[in-house]
Amino acid sequence: MIELKHITKWVNSGGNRFFLLRDINLTVKEGEFISIMGPSGSGKSTLLNVIGMLDEFNEGEYNFIGQPVHQLKEKQRSQLYKTHIGFVFQAYHLIDELTVYENIETPLLYQNVKASERQAMVSDILDRFNIVGKKDLFPPQLSGGQQQLVGVARALVAKPKLILADEPTGNLNSKQGEEIMELFKQLNTEDGVTIIQATHSERNAAYGSKIINLLDGRIEK
Amino acid sequence: MIRNNLKIAWRNMVKNRFYSIVNIVGLSAGILFTLVICAYVWSELRVNSELRNANRQFILQSRWTAENMGNELVTIAPLAKALYEQYPTLIANYYRFDGVSSTVSKGDKHFRESFQVGDSTLLSMYRFTLKHGDTKTALANPYSVVITEDAAKKYFGKTNVVGETVSIENFSGDNHDFMITGVLNNHSRNSVSSLLDDKENQFYMPIASAQFFGREILSWDYAHMVSYIELQSGVTPKQLEEPIRQLLKKNAPDYITANLTQYPIPLKKYYLSKDNGLVKKMIYALSIIAFFILIMAVINFVNMSVSHSATRLKEIGIRKVMGGLKKNLIFQFLTESVLLVLFAMLLALFLYAVSRNYFSSILGKTIPQLTDFPPAFIILPFALALLIGSLAGLYPAFVLSSFKTVDSLKGKLSTVKEKIWLRKALVGFQFSIATVVFIGAIIVSQQIGYFFGKDIGYNKDYIVSAQVPRDWSFAGVSRMESIRARLSALPQVSDVTLSFEVPDGRNSGSNAVYKVGADSTTAVSTQFLNTDEHFASTFGIPLKAGVFFSQPGAFADSSSVVINETEAKALGWQHAEDAVGQRVKLTGSADVYTIAGVTNNFHFGSMQESVPPITFVHVGNSRIFRYFSIKLKPGDISNSVDALQKQWAVLMPGAPFEYKFMDDTLRHLYKSEIQLRQAVYTAFLLALIIVLLGVLGLVAMSIQRRTKEIGIRKVLGSSVSNIILLFIKEFLFVILIAGIIAVPVAYTIMQIWLNGYAYRIQITTTPFLISIALLGAISALLIGLQTMKVAMANPVTSLRTE
Repeated sequence: MIELKHITKWVNSGGNRFFLLRDINLTVKEGEFISIMGPSGSGKSTLLNVIGMLDEFNEGEYNFIGQPVHQLKEKQRSQLYKTHIGFVFQAYHLIDELTVYENIETPLLYQNVKASERQAMVSDILDRFNIVGKKDLFPPQLSGGQQQLVGVARALVAKPKLILADEPTGNLNSKQGEEIMELFKQLNTEDGVTIIQATHSERNAAYGSKIINLLDGRIEK
Repeated sequence: MIRNNLKIAWRNMVKNRFYSIVNIVGLSAGILFTLVICAYVWSELRVNSELRNANRQFILQSRWTAENMGNELVTIAPLAKALYEQYPTLIANYYRFDGVSSTVSKGDKHFRESFQVGDSTLLSMYRFTLKHGDTKTALANPYSVVITEDAAKKYFGKTNVVGETVSIENFSGDNHDFMITGVLNNHSRNSVSSLLDDKENQFYMPIASAQFFGREILSWDYAHMVSYIELQSGVTPKQLEEPIRQLLKKNAPDYITANLTQYPIPLKKYYLSKDNGLVKKMIYALSIIAFFILIMAVINFVNMSVSHSATRLKEIGIRKVMGGLKKNLIFQFLTESVLLVLFAMLLALFLYAVSRNYFSSILGKTIPQLTDFPPAFIILPFALALLIGSLAGLYPAFVLSSFKTVDSLKGKLSTVKEKIWLRKALVGFQFSIATVVFIGAIIVSQQIGYFFGKDIGYNKDYIVSAQVPRDWSFAGVSRMESIRARLSALPQVSDVTLSFEVPDGRNSGSNAVYKVGADSTTAVSTQFLNTDEHFASTFGIPLKAGVFFSQPGAFADSSSVVINETEAKALGWQHAEDAVGQRVKLTGSADVYTIAGVTNNFHFGSMQESVPPITFVHVGNSRIFRYFSIKLKPGDISNSVDALQKQWAVLMPGAPFEYKFMDDTLRHLYKSEIQLRQAVYTAFLLALIIVLLGVLGLVAMSIQRRTKEIGIRKVLGSSVSNIILLFIKEFLFVILIAGIIAVPVAYTIMQIWLNGYAYRIQITTTPFLISIALLGAISALLIGLQTMKVAMANPVTSLRTE
């Protein structure tokens, strides 16, 4: 599904080249649950952003479901990730001015899903996550755990093949975190969704089927 | 998608109330001014357009070979009628009137009114309708009169007054009853019922009434009638040239045929281009000002939206991650700006309705009510909102939507920071415009002050003028002179003069004058003023040499004239003394006049023109007069006027005492300048509001960006005033640069404007310094107030925002 070959990314700062990713080689098969671990600044988020096509890389090749991402134009890339990838963030990144329902609906709007279909899909996911009662609330009215639940619901509503989660439990207490991880596990095993998460925590990493350690932009063997 | 966009637009507006209100208020100020000017221009362009067959309505104009031979507005009396009768294939209809004014009385109500003594076609030709009375017969019989609704209310307090009578005085002092046969409905502005200025004619009489006023309207020698014609469809004005020439040749006296060309001008064009295109110039000037004000408001909007973007960055990032394309985001931001502009538009429409009367008085024209516009115009505000919204939203939309996804998610403002110079340049541009308008306002005021200052050449203070009944016979003059003596005997009065003119630029006519013994080709064109020997003393016009006709009280020699300094020079006398006692002749007359005195130059008319040669002729000689000008003694003016009014009623029973102070007369003379000053001041006020709102927005942004810096500075020991100064300095630099750019622009524009006046002020540095200093001070104050709170806040809180 995902094939990264010699991916390298750097930024120039004050005449020095500062490497964020160095020669990353990674293959992810469909249905895998991968945890990326590493200390702060090791490049976990950058790697996720590259995989999610939100960020560019300087060298290397990236194939996503057989498509050469490094050769695609911005618009095609956007088309690709919006249909196949769902994102979950540490800071939830919900839009404060939209209700829970509208937040979940947003990705569907951008995929031009018809109104009736949209309603069905959002209702389904609200049901499944047990948040029907909260659909008219705004994010600031929810607890952190509930917000992240909405974040996951939003990531899943368009039925993506891949979920990228950047420290999804970082802002949550351990109980809430556990619930989210259980949810991921369930999604992975029952729905066959591929998941890549970046995390600090050994416990959370253990939910994954494979752990990759990053240090200074390199994959530790 | 649209619904979603509208929803989030609304929620954002509500959430950022301060920002939204500042934005809406600023924009609505700009839109309000634009709306007012658009309405003004629309109503000016519409003058005459509602007349029947408006495109075929023409007015005949006169072109004489020499300027002093006749007025261009009036024509040979029988011409239009003859054209209609002999060329029915060219002319569909005609209307002529002779403009006269006299006293109208009803009971104890006496007013001076103007009349159109004219053809009965008035009621059929133009779509004028009667509220009461019969259109067909209203103007059929002599001693009947059609009046407007306003006049009916003025004399009778009601509008249905058909069958009532009013008494009207003719020029030999006789009164006759006129029966009211019709009351006109109000109609839109046109150059038939209000030809000269915006005051509408209130009284219309049948042409047969001309006899009552002793007017020779059947004579081809009588060149004092205003003539309108309606062409047959498909006829061009050029086709009239030959018929007019033929008719004049056949009927008119030789000196008219030789010197006069009559030509038709479309009424629609006539209105816009009369008085040297005054209306057109005003339309252009105001449109340009309105355009710049609107641009300023739009710039504000752009500035605020971009500087406000920090709060939207996260949302933009999320939307991009959710798969939103750039075009989706642009569309979303455009929806927001259009919505905001729509609110501003609604506010502006409300303000328009509220402030309409204020703007009407500034512009000297009635600004149409919202309901006066055709129903189709209802689209216009929305179309305008869409246009302005798109224009204003486009730049912010592009800037915001092109941030990198990851940067936006992190809330990185790097891109915004880099564009700060652009926003400063835009605010600088606004400051430049505001400064130019401000400098312009000051210079226009100074020039108007100059019109009313001591350079006018006479003393206008405490002088009131009022028109007297017209009896231009020898006995009439004697009677007026004795009344004059009685009036001047009042203890409140220091001097009185009888004259045809007051210094308002309108004189009886002009001719050419030359020295006896010299060839008549050396003649100098001169304006006549018909006054008695008290004119110079009443108006305080100093004499350079000789006497003003005679020493006051002594009998005036009928052959003596007084000239002004310009005329003495023009006739070749370098020293005024040399002219006294010299003899001159007028072209076309055998009479010889002796120069009794030479006055200093004074401004009889507008300062636009240089003082022309002026010849004073004694009223006892010319036997035409209109005004008593009365110089009051300083003191309780309203008491003096009351005393004057009582004496006036005793001396001239039935004659209305409708007095005007000389200041008001001058204000009327400089009406358009005063309107311009008002308009420029209003424009400045709006520009100031907009520019200050702009500064407010930019400073708010600056504070947001530098909260942490302020905290650090305070921890390091900076004082509150130091921090406020930090912000002020940032903007004073912009203001200074803007000022430097504004100076030459304002100087050039105002010099061009001043060049239109023969007498003008020198542009000094004062207006420039005042404008820049004041704008700087106001902005500094605003910035100070705005930053005070942040500067005084506990640094711990500001540092915590990171």
